[in-house]
Amino acid sequence: MDEALQDAYDRDDIDALIRLYTSAADAAEDRHEIDAACFYLTHAFIFALERGAPEAAALNLRLADRGRSHLLGL
Amino acid sequence: MIDQSPLTQVMSSVNTANGLPNEHYVDPLVFEQEKRSVLFANWSGVGFGKDIPEAGDAKPFDFLGMPLLAVRDRDGSVGVFQNTCRHRGMILVDQPRNIAGAIRCPYHSWCYGLDGKLRATPHVGGPGQNTHEDVDPEKLGLFRIRSHVWRDVIFVNVDCKAPAFEQVHASLIARWSEFDQPVHHGGQTSSLQLTVKANWKLAVENYCESYHLPWVHPGLNTYSRLEDHYNIEERGAFSGQGTLVYRQLTDDQGTTFPDFKGLGRQWDEGAEYIAVYPNVLIGVQRDHSHVIILQPIDCETTVEHIELYYAQTAQQTPDLANLRATNAQMWKSVFEEDVFVVEGMQKGRHGDMFDGGRFSPVMDSPTHNFHHWVASQIEQGRVA
Repeated sequence: MDEALQDAYDRDDIDALIRLYTSAADAAEDRHEIDAACFYLTHAFIFALERGAPEAAALNLRLADRGRSHLLGL
Repeated sequence: MIDQSPLTQVMSSVNTANGLPNEHYVDPLVFEQEKRSVLFANWSGVGFGKDIPEAGDAKPFDFLGMPLLAVRDRDGSVGVFQNTCRHRGMILVDQPRNIAGAIRCPYHSWCYGLDGKLRATPHVGGPGQNTHEDVDPEKLGLFRIRSHVWRDVIFVNVDCKAPAFEQVHASLIARWSEFDQPVHHGGQTSSLQLTVKANWKLAVENYCESYHLPWVHPGLNTYSRLEDHYNIEERGAFSGQGTLVYRQLTDDQGTTFPDFKGLGRQWDEGAEYIAVYPNVLIGVQRDHSHVIILQPIDCETTVEHIELYYAQTAQQTPDLANLRATNAQMWKSVFEEDVFVVEGMQKGRHGDMFDGGRFSPVMDSPTHNFHHWVASQIEQGRVA
């Protein structure tokens, strides 16, 4: 995972960063590690927001549902 | 402490006035004073709409050391913001680019919308916690700079205290109402840039008078003689010159640029060249227009951003590409002929005994009008 993220950063591949951080969040949620999941979700959301990617709305909703973000109404 | 020279002599009649004293051209402290009282307190040109044509396009500008960011919003409007993150003061955008979704600060990733609103503050309340009760996004949007786009020029009023642009320039807008129609930039060959070792005001002063034409532009004078020109003056707003013998550029086949639509007969051979105070110079002619934004770099350095606009787009008239390039070259030659005089006047103002100079009461009134306006702005700034 770390290698894949580093590679995505090196290539400035925002789509890959969104995907990888979302996967990391999903895995952390499965382990009931909510703080870790929200950390990863935050990164996925920020990159999606910057990119104007459609995933931004769902990521924002997941964070807002856990009280970790304002709901933006994307 | 700035030597507060009284400017009453500058503001008297053109027949007896002196020009602005040397310190207004060579003293960095006076330059700083003019930055506040003249350039930040009025509607100054900082950029062109054509540089941010698409929704999401963003271009940073440095305006007298102040970092600005011009952004084209989704509705087509242009917004100008201070290009500084509200968190740690980081520069947000350092190169022109398209913002697909949000402006993300490269430091801690606070994100802003194209409307400047703060959209996200990652980890602001701790890891994975993106809100905090003491960080209110409603109060932490980007600082919006008051802006107005006219003839594709992005004007800003940094101190937010000037009357509305349409009010300040109502007379000029009415004067050129026939030209109130879309202008289309001529493309890459229609952008020119000159760096001159001179205070920005000298470029204004040279532009708005025709007195120098026969001496500095003898080529122009073969068909556009001094007596074919007239002065244009509006106290407190603008000044310049007009010609009665504008001649369209043609190629070997006699092709000309298409005219702007619906112009009156006066523009068949008429053209006007006006300094829109403080730092924008605009020329209108039946078939094309030019705009010059004077970017003051320091007291003795100015960059002239010169752009040429036409009645039809370059895409509509690909057959005129060569004529546009010839036209740009012609204007470049004219503007380059002016470099030695503005740089020469700059050097001359290091002569301690120069007293601002005496004007020709007949030929120099547009220049005097500009000096009068600058002096009045400085006097107002001293009172404030």
